[in-house]
Amino acid sequence: MDPLRYLLILLACLAVTLPLELLLGARVYRRPRRLLAALAPVVALFVLWDLAAVARGHWWFDPRYTTGVRLLGLPVEEWLFFVVVPLCALLTYEVLGRTRHLLRLGRGPSTTESDKKGPFLSPQAGGGRGR
Amino acid sequence: MGGEYTVAAIAAPLAVVALELWVLRTGLLRSARYWLTMAIAFAFQVPVDGWLTRPDATVVHYDDAAISGLRVPWHIPVEDYGFGFALMTLTLLLWLKLRPARAAERGADD
Repeated sequence: MDPLRYLLILLACLAVTLPLELLLGARVYRRPRRLLAALAPVVALFVLWDLAAVARGHWWFDPRYTTGVRLLGLPVEEWLFFVVVPLCALLTYEVLGRTRHLLRLGRGPSTTESDKKGPFLSPQAGGGRGR
Repeated sequence: MGGEYTVAAIAAPLAVVALELWVLRTGLLRSARYWLTMAIAFAFQVPVDGWLTRPDATVVHYDDAAISGLRVPWHIPVEDYGFGFALMTLTLLLWLKLRPARAAERGADD
């Protein structure tokens, strides 16, 4: 189990935040293009920081607790870290934008048009909710 | 009283805030929703980072010369919070900047 430790920590983060998308109405995974466009520069910048930090010896990864799979010299877990942590932040932010909606659902069926829309409509449908 | 990671962990959040104030101008930093998001995120960073840095099974090791030596709580270098702030704030800024034009015009949070 030891080589999977870092990977399992990341998986736990994904598992804990998945209900935010599936049950609480965050629309992050369901906006894949916007998600990819937001993540790409973030991953690029932080991988560069990481590579520089590792090159200068600021930090290093224990081979005992990583799978050994590497990309550009960085453990693949570290790349995933820069996807998983931003994902968790986005899911949290999106759910917090849904609180009024969630409270309304708690009080019973709503009659506003946006509330009738199902959660699985096109990404554009998200633009019309809750106002 | 600090090393290169200390400097980077202060500079990166400042750079992200500057990016928002002078380039992106999304208004994110003025919203309660953002600060609540960050409060929740930091609350979860503690167990995750605490696990990655625990002394008896350390996944990520730090050079003492690169950090201030201040570790809060447990064995988490305080610099990691600056790193996390920059990582998550930049993500939220870009996500907001990329929201659909209709929502952006309304000033909606979408």
